[in-house]
Amino acid sequence: MAHLEVSNVTKRYGDTVAVDDVSFSAEPGRILGLLGPNGAGKTSTIRMITYITVPDAGGIRYDGETVGPWSQQRMGYLPEERGLYKRLRVKEQLVYLGTLKGLSKAEAADRADHWLGRFDATGWADMKTEELSKGMQQKIQFIATLLHDPSLLIFDEPFSGLDPINADLLRDIILELRREDRTILFASHRMEQVEQLCDDICLMARGDVVLRGPLRDIKEQFGKNTLVLEFDGDDHFVDQLEAEGRVRVNTRSAHRAELTLADGTAARTVLDRALAATDELYRYERTAPPLNEIFVEVVGEDEARRMQEEAATAPAG
Amino acid sequence: MSAHKIWLILSSEFWRRVRSKAFILATLLVPVGFVILAAAPALFGYLAEQTDERVVALVDETDQLADSLAAAGGDRITFESTDAPIDSVRAAVRSGVYDGYLLLPASLLDGEGEATYYSMEGGGLTLRTQIDGMVDRVVQERRLTSAGADASVLSIVRSDVSLSTRKLAEEEGTTADSSLALTAIGYAMAFIIYFAVFIYGQYVMQGVIEEKSNRVVEIVVSSVRPFELLMGKVLGIGAMGLMQMVTWAVLVVGGFSVAGPVLALVMSPEALGVAPDASQQAMTEAAGASIPTIPLDLVAWFVLFFLGGFLLYAALFAAVGSAVEQQQDAQNLLLPVMTPLIVPILFLFFIIESPNATVSVVMSIIPFFSPILMVLRAAITSVPLWEIGLAFGLLFATFVGMIWVAGRIYRVGILSYGKTPGFREIARWVTYD
Repeated sequence: MAHLEVSNVTKRYGDTVAVDDVSFSAEPGRILGLLGPNGAGKTSTIRMITYITVPDAGGIRYDGETVGPWSQQRMGYLPEERGLYKRLRVKEQLVYLGTLKGLSKAEAADRADHWLGRFDATGWADMKTEELSKGMQQKIQFIATLLHDPSLLIFDEPFSGLDPINADLLRDIILELRREDRTILFASHRMEQVEQLCDDICLMARGDVVLRGPLRDIKEQFGKNTLVLEFDGDDHFVDQLEAEGRVRVNTRSAHRAELTLADGTAARTVLDRALAATDELYRYERTAPPLNEIFVEVVGEDEARRMQEEAATAPAG
Repeated sequence: MSAHKIWLILSSEFWRRVRSKAFILATLLVPVGFVILAAAPALFGYLAEQTDERVVALVDETDQLADSLAAAGGDRITFESTDAPIDSVRAAVRSGVYDGYLLLPASLLDGEGEATYYSMEGGGLTLRTQIDGMVDRVVQERRLTSAGADASVLSIVRSDVSLSTRKLAEEEGTTADSSLALTAIGYAMAFIIYFAVFIYGQYVMQGVIEEKSNRVVEIVVSSVRPFELLMGKVLGIGAMGLMQMVTWAVLVVGGFSVAGPVLALVMSPEALGVAPDASQQAMTEAAGASIPTIPLDLVAWFVLFFLGGFLLYAALFAAVGSAVEQQQDAQNLLLPVMTPLIVPILFLFFIIESPNATVSVVMSIIPFFSPILMVLRAAITSVPLWEIGLAFGLLFATFVGMIWVAGRIYRVGILSYGKTPGFREIARWVTYD
């Protein structure tokens, strides 16, 4: 299993620079999260990795060689916008897409059977794709991505539009692929998904990489300046702390608050106030900031807000 | 570029369409409809005329032909001589006393002037042919007699009447008669290519739009090059079109070979204006229910120019399809594709009239027009091999250039969503790396 290296890649469309001198790498057995708002250059980058387009400058190497038709046969790509040939029957569709990836017809048919079985979908083989429900079509799409046993997998917003059951199924499959030492690229603008799954991250904004490295290192680098509190009773102390400029509120509900300590505020201060104000304190935890907060710090408030609005309007995943 | 990938796409595109119910139905029903349409007028015309017994007023200014004509008219046409003034004869025709009147000017016997048949309804085709034949024969005989032809000559001419008309038709047929047929064939071929390029080109465009709008295209181009997808699709639909047309040709020829004998059974030779002992071939031809023999080289050029024209235009249809997300958005962009396809249709009659005029030659060599116009010229006149070769060479070269341009538009277009681009935007795509 092999390593993917993106080095100093630039891509322009007319006067727009979609990707500007971007470098990162992805390792086998690890999941690389490619993060960033829409328009950050994620999809443009992915299209170059999948050799759908070519960079204007820089290079992309997989397993030591520049990507090309040869590497297309070794990668599986699940695009953000998904689609299948509506009028083809399920198995026929899988066999066709498999042969385009270099499988023989017989091989593709065998593997389609195997995967349909694995997804409890053997009965769908002869149905027309358009007769399937949205969720069923998603499963077929995963199978098409995995059919040719790719060593590099690229998932662009894989959870968008998925019902919870299929989302769990996909998560299990991604983790299984990771155990099999495949190289996995996972693009998303949803931080919590990336945080759950990824080993490494590469944060993009406006065509640039603004932050990259192993997730754990990045979190450590940003220190343990976050507090999580769970409590019963009066929560006015949170407002007071915020008003005094001692903390910033990340998320908040009736019985829970996630706070970022302002510079110079001792964590102890917050604990004292909480103990004094609440009836009961169930949890007090000092921890590394969530990815969301790191992102805010790196790209600035405006960009971060834009991104969160996008995340809010995107279908739940 | 991988020929194997193109082949995979080609066969998938081909089979997925060919086995659809709509395709099978169209392929089977169109020729049936065609045979019925072609044979029906002949049959109806025949039935209509057979039921009528015609009464024709004869204004014979030569005063010599009435008797012979009356004899020639037999049961079906009664010629009634009249000396009444033309106006009253006309009135009689209008009021329905006569079906029409035949005017034979005095000069007819000197080989000048012409016989004229007047009627309210213009007369059926068969009736006109019959009267024409009768007048011909009667005048010829009379003139021979008055020129002092020997009785033996007369008897030869008379006994040969039916035979000689057939001979004339066949001998001159290689020039005059079949050139008429070939004009019809050329005209038909030109229109078939026009419609085929138009319809199959639309199939290509629809296919591209469908792939783009349901987003499957991104998966496909992560497996094959966009150009391979474009070529596979165009060739696959081209193969489908060729197969459909070959099937139609076979069914139509087969249909006529059944329809011919059927017509021969129900019709009598005289009704068709051919000799009583005419062959079945001659009869079906006269009835308009047969296909004249088409020269093989013309068939070959037809196929080559159809394929060339289809490939050229399909590349353009595909480029347009790649730029839009739904069919309706394509209207504007289709203008530069449809215009060169329609222009040759405007020149059809000019070329039929003067196939060898400089304009005709030039128009038929221009690549965007040659699929329609060169095939037409090849059918109706003998086109020098260099002209037709040049036209095909240019067509092929243009196709290569256009598929390159189309490929570059396509590769950007299939991944561009949002606002429908204008021509300037599309032109810019060609320059993208």
